[in-house]
Amino acid sequence: MSVTAPMPPPDATADPGPAKAVKAPKGEAIGVRRGGWFVRITILVVVAIWLVPSLGVLITSFREGDAANTSGWWTVLGNPFSAEWTLDNYRTVLDAGGFQHAFLNSLAVAVPATVIPVTIAAFAAYAFSWMDFRGRHVLFVLVVGLMVVPLQMALIPILRLFVGGATLWGIPVFPDVNLNGTFLGVWLAHTGFGLPLATYLLRNYIGSLPSSIIESAKIDGADHFTIFWRLIVPLSVPALAAFGIFQFLWVWNDLLVAYVFLGGTSDTRVVTIALANLVGSRGQDWHLLTSAAFITMSLPLVVFFSLQRYFIRGLTAGSVKG
Amino acid sequence: MTNEIPDKGEKHMRLRRMLIPLVALSLVAAACGDDDDDGGGGASGGGSNTGRVNLLSAVEPEEAEAVQAIFDELINADADYTAEIESSGNFEEQFQIRAQGGTLDVAAVPQPGAIPALADAGHIVALEDLGFDIGALNDTFGESFVALGEYNGKHYGIPTNINLKSMVWYPKDDFDAAGYEVPESWDDLIALSDQIIADGSTPWCIGFESEGATGWPATDWMEDIMLRTAGPDVYDQWVAHEIPFDDDAVVNAANTFGEILFADGYVLGGASATADIAFGDAPLPMFDDPPKCWLHRQASFINSFFPSDAEAGVDYDWFPLPPIDQEGILFAGELTVVGTNGNRPEVIDFLEKFMAEEVQCDMGGVVGSSRISPNVNVGGDCYANQILADAAEVLTDALEKNTGRFDASDLMPSEVGAGSFWTGMIDFVRGKDAAAVMADIEASWP
Amino acid sequence: MTQTVEEPETGTADLDARPGARVIALRVLAAIAVPVVAFVVLAWALDTLRDNSANRLFIAGLAITIGVVGVFVLFWAADQLVDWMPASFRESVRPYVFVGPALVLLTVFLIYPVANTVLVSFKDANSRNWIGLDNYRFVFTNASMLRSIRNTAGWIIIVPSVALVIGLVFATLADKLRRGEAVAKSLIFLPMAISFVGAAVTFRLIYSYRPEGFGSNIGLLNGVWMGLGNDPVAWLSRKPWNNLMLMGIMVWMQTGFAMVVLSAAIKAIPDEIIEAARIDGASEMQVFRRITIPSILPTIVVVTTYMVINALKVFDIVFVMGNAEPNGTEVIAERMIRWFFLSNHNGRGAAIAVVLFVAVIPVMVWNVRKFREQELIR
Repeated sequence: MSVTAPMPPPDATADPGPAKAVKAPKGEAIGVRRGGWFVRITILVVVAIWLVPSLGVLITSFREGDAANTSGWWTVLGNPFSAEWTLDNYRTVLDAGGFQHAFLNSLAVAVPATVIPVTIAAFAAYAFSWMDFRGRHVLFVLVVGLMVVPLQMALIPILRLFVGGATLWGIPVFPDVNLNGTFLGVWLAHTGFGLPLATYLLRNYIGSLPSSIIESAKIDGADHFTIFWRLIVPLSVPALAAFGIFQFLWVWNDLLVAYVFLGGTSDTRVVTIALANLVGSRGQDWHLLTSAAFITMSLPLVVFFSLQRYFIRGLTAGSVKG
Repeated sequence: MTNEIPDKGEKHMRLRRMLIPLVALSLVAAACGDDDDDGGGGASGGGSNTGRVNLLSAVEPEEAEAVQAIFDELINADADYTAEIESSGNFEEQFQIRAQGGTLDVAAVPQPGAIPALADAGHIVALEDLGFDIGALNDTFGESFVALGEYNGKHYGIPTNINLKSMVWYPKDDFDAAGYEVPESWDDLIALSDQIIADGSTPWCIGFESEGATGWPATDWMEDIMLRTAGPDVYDQWVAHEIPFDDDAVVNAANTFGEILFADGYVLGGASATADIAFGDAPLPMFDDPPKCWLHRQASFINSFFPSDAEAGVDYDWFPLPPIDQEGILFAGELTVVGTNGNRPEVIDFLEKFMAEEVQCDMGGVVGSSRISPNVNVGGDCYANQILADAAEVLTDALEKNTGRFDASDLMPSEVGAGSFWTGMIDFVRGKDAAAVMADIEASWP
Repeated sequence: MTQTVEEPETGTADLDARPGARVIALRVLAAIAVPVVAFVVLAWALDTLRDNSANRLFIAGLAITIGVVGVFVLFWAADQLVDWMPASFRESVRPYVFVGPALVLLTVFLIYPVANTVLVSFKDANSRNWIGLDNYRFVFTNASMLRSIRNTAGWIIIVPSVALVIGLVFATLADKLRRGEAVAKSLIFLPMAISFVGAAVTFRLIYSYRPEGFGSNIGLLNGVWMGLGNDPVAWLSRKPWNNLMLMGIMVWMQTGFAMVVLSAAIKAIPDEIIEAARIDGASEMQVFRRITIPSILPTIVVVTTYMVINALKVFDIVFVMGNAEPNGTEVIAERMIRWFFLSNHNGRGAAIAVVLFVAVIPVMVWNVRKFREQELIR
C-alpha cells in the first residue's frame, strides 16, 4: 500500500471531489480517505481481475457446445447480439435423470453435516476458552494440528471401522454397526473432518469475549452450562453462522467423502456426483461443465448472500468491542 | 512445545502424561486393525443376500447407463437382488479405497497390474474361493486372458470387456478423394506419410495430455510398436520384467516411434507440443476441410470425441496399425474382481450372468459403445456398428494367432505403468534421449 | 437450566489441590465414560435415520431436528449427570463433558487414522511387512519428492501472503467505500462457493492451449497473448512459472476467505480509537500500521494458519492441471495421493503424509503462543 499510494502535491486543495486530492492530515495519501478515487480504482481493478474467470464460466455456460469448443468465450463480447446463445445446457443438466433426487440427497447430507459439528465444536470451544482442566493446551494443540490431516488418508481406516468395527483385546471399542452407505456415516465423517477447523475458529472467537462478562455471570451464580447457553451462544451467533456457512459450502461441494461413504449409485448420490457423472471424466463438454458448475454454486450462493451480514462480525478473533 | 514455560514444567509433564494413553490407544487400535486384516484373507464372506450387487467401473457415464439398462432387463428382472453399475471418474482411487476399506462388491478393473498387491493383502477374493471353475473360464475367455488376473496360483479376475488399441483413424472421404491407399506395411505407412507431406499437408495428429494421467497415449504408441518390432515373446518378457526396461529392444522401439514423432513435418504442431494437446482434441484437425492431418492412432473409444456430425464409414474409418518386423495387435480391457464385501451368493450369481453370452452380446449392441466381448462365444453379429464388428474380428484373429497382447502399462506394477512410464514418455517426446528415458524407468521398477 | 452451582470456583481451586488416588481414578473413569456414553446415545439416536429409502425431505427435516435438538439435549443431559456427582470433583469432570464428544469424534475420524498412517509408513507397498525407514529414505532422496517439498514451501509462503495482502488491502479499502461494499466483497468471495470441479473448468478456460492447427485457442491467457501478436504458449508446462499459475488458482479461491474475515475484524475496531488517532494528526497509513494491524493481529494469525494448512494440503489443483512430475509442479500432498492411490505403494504414501503432519508443528507452536498471549490480556 505504501508503495502504490502517491504522495500529495504540496498545494493540496480542500476540494473533496473524488478525482482530486483531498484535504488530508500531514502525510495523508491522496484518495485513501473515504470514497476517494484511489480506493475506488483499486477496488474496481481487484474486482475485475477476480470476476474474469467466473465471467468466462458464465458466458460459456450459455453458449452452444461446438461454439464453446471452437472459439474463445471472450469473442462473444465483440458481438453479443449475433452470438449463439442458448439455454439448452442448463436444460440438459437439469433434465438429467435423478437430478432432483440428488439435490435432496445433498440437502440431507449437508444440513446435518453442518449443524452437528457446529454444535459439538461450540461446546468444545467454550471449554477450551473458559474452563480450566488438565490437558487443555495439549488437547487444543492436538485439535489444531489435526487440521492438517489429509482426509484421503483417513478414508480407508474409517471404512474398516464402519464395516467391521474395532476390538481391543476382545473388547469392542467401536461397535460393528454397518455405517457404510448410510447418511449417518456421512454426517459423522463430515463432522469428524470439520471439527478441527470449527473448534479452532470458534475458540478464537469465544476465547476473545471479554472475561468480565463471564466473571459477572459466575458471581450471579450461573453454572457453565447456563453461561454457555444463555450468554456465549447468543453472543457467538455471528461466528456460529459464519462457520456454518463455511462448513455448508464445504460439504455441499464435496465429492470424495460422499462418494466413499454414501456411494455413487442413482439413489444415494449427491449433486456433485450427479453432475460429475453427467459430464464424464474425459469429455471436453465445456458448455455442460460450466452450466453444471453454476447450478451447484447456486444454493451455496443463496445461503451466503442471505447470511452474509453475519460475516460482518463472524469468524473473527479479538474483535468484540468490550 | 510443552517446554515453553519452564516454571510450569511439572504441570506440563502431567499434561503430556494425559495425552499418552490417548495416542497409545489409537496406536494399539490401529495395530489391532491390521491384525484383523492379516487374518482376513477374504474370509469375511459367505454372508447372506443383501439384495444389492454393486459393480464399480471406470466406464463413461453414458456407457454405464446403457449397461444398467441391460442389467435391468436381463438380470434384475428375475433375480432376488438388484445389480447396479456405478461409474467413477476417479476409478483408481475409489477402487483402492473400497477394496482396502472392505466395502467393495465387484469392480471392473482396467489395470490388471493392480491385482497382485490387493490379492496379496487379502483385499480381493480369489475366483477359486468363490467356487468358479477356472477350466470353464479358460474355455470361455482363453487361458492367456484369464491368466492376467493370476496371483500365487489363484485367479482373481474375470474378463468382461475388451477394446482394441491398434487402430489408425483417417478421414475416409478426403482420404479416398486424394487417392491414398490404406497401408499394409510399416514402409507403406511411412511412404504414405511422405506422400501427404509432398502434397503439402501434415500426416499425423498426436496428443498426449490427459490431466494427471498425461502421457498414457504415448505408452500405447510405444507398446504398439514394441509388439511389432520385438515380437510378442519379447513383449511378454518386457511386461514381466524378464528383460530390463532399458533393454536394446525397448530403446529400439522408442527410436522407431521417434521415426514418426520427430520426423520433420510428420506431426501437426511438432513433437514437443504433443504433451500439451488434450488427447480428445488431437483427432479434430482430421475433420477440417481440407484435413489438417490425415492419420490418428488411438483406441476404439476415440470416435466419441469426433465431431457430432461426423459419420462412421463416410467421414472417417480406421485400419489396423500395420506390422513392422512382426505381427501383433494391442488391446486393453477389464478384469472384474470381487472385493471382500462381495463374497455373497447373489454376487456370484450376478457374475455368472454378467460374463455369459446373453448379457455380453447385448452390451455389444449398444449404439456408440466401444465394448467388445472377451467371451469367445459372442459372435460378430452382436455388434451394433461396423467399426466395432471389424475391431472384434481383428481381435479374434490376433488372439487365434496368439499375436494379441494386453496393454503393457496396465499390466506393469502401478508405480511404473501409471507413473514413471507416463512421465518417461513425456520426457521422450520433449526431446530426452530414448536410452536415458528407458534407464530412468528401469530405475523406478520396484 | 435454573439450577445453581454452589462452588463455581472449584474448577480452578481443584487443580492446585492434591486429590487422593481414589478421586483421581473416579475422575479418569468419568472422563472416559461420560463422552463414551454420550457418543453411544448420539449414535443410537441417529441410527433411527439409517433408512436410505425413506423420503429425503423427511430425513433432512428429522436430521436437522436431531442435529440441533438431539446433540444439544445430549450435552444437557450429560451436564445434569455431572451435577449428581460428588461436589469434590464435579467441576473437574464437567469440562470433559464439553470437550468429550469432540475428542471422541476426532479420535475416531482423525487420530486413529493418523496412528494408522504412522504405522503404515514403516511398512511395504501392501502394508504387509515392516521395512523400517525405507519409505522415509525414499521421501528424502527421490528427486521428484525433493522437488515437491521445495514447491510446497513455495505454496505455503506465496499463497497465504499474497491472499493475505490482497485480502487486507481490499478489506481496508472496501471499508472506506461510500456504497457498494457488500457487492464488492461478495464478488471476491464468489470463488469460495465454487466446487472443485467448477474451479478446474474455470481455469482450463484461462490456461488452455492448442497449438497451430488444432483450432482456435479457448484459453483467455493465450487469447490475450496471441492478440499481442505472439504464438500460443503451453502455460502449464512452462517451468518454473507453471507453479505460479497453479498458485494463482488457489489465491483466487481463498482470498475471499481472508478478505471477509479480515474485514470483519477491521469493522470491529472501535471507531473512537481511530477517530482519536486521526484527531491527533495520524495519517491513514499511520492509522493502518499503528492501530489497524495490531488490533487485527489475532485474526491475521487465524487466517494465516488456515491458509498455510490449506496450502500444505493442496493436491487437486495440481492434479487436474497436468502430470506434475514432467511439469515440475509436484507438491507433497499430490505425491501422497499419487503414491497411495495410483502407484499403490501404501508405505510411501503414508510416509509422505507423515511429512505433512510434521510440517504443521511450527504452525501449531506459533498458535499456542498466541493462544496463551490472548488469555493473558483478555
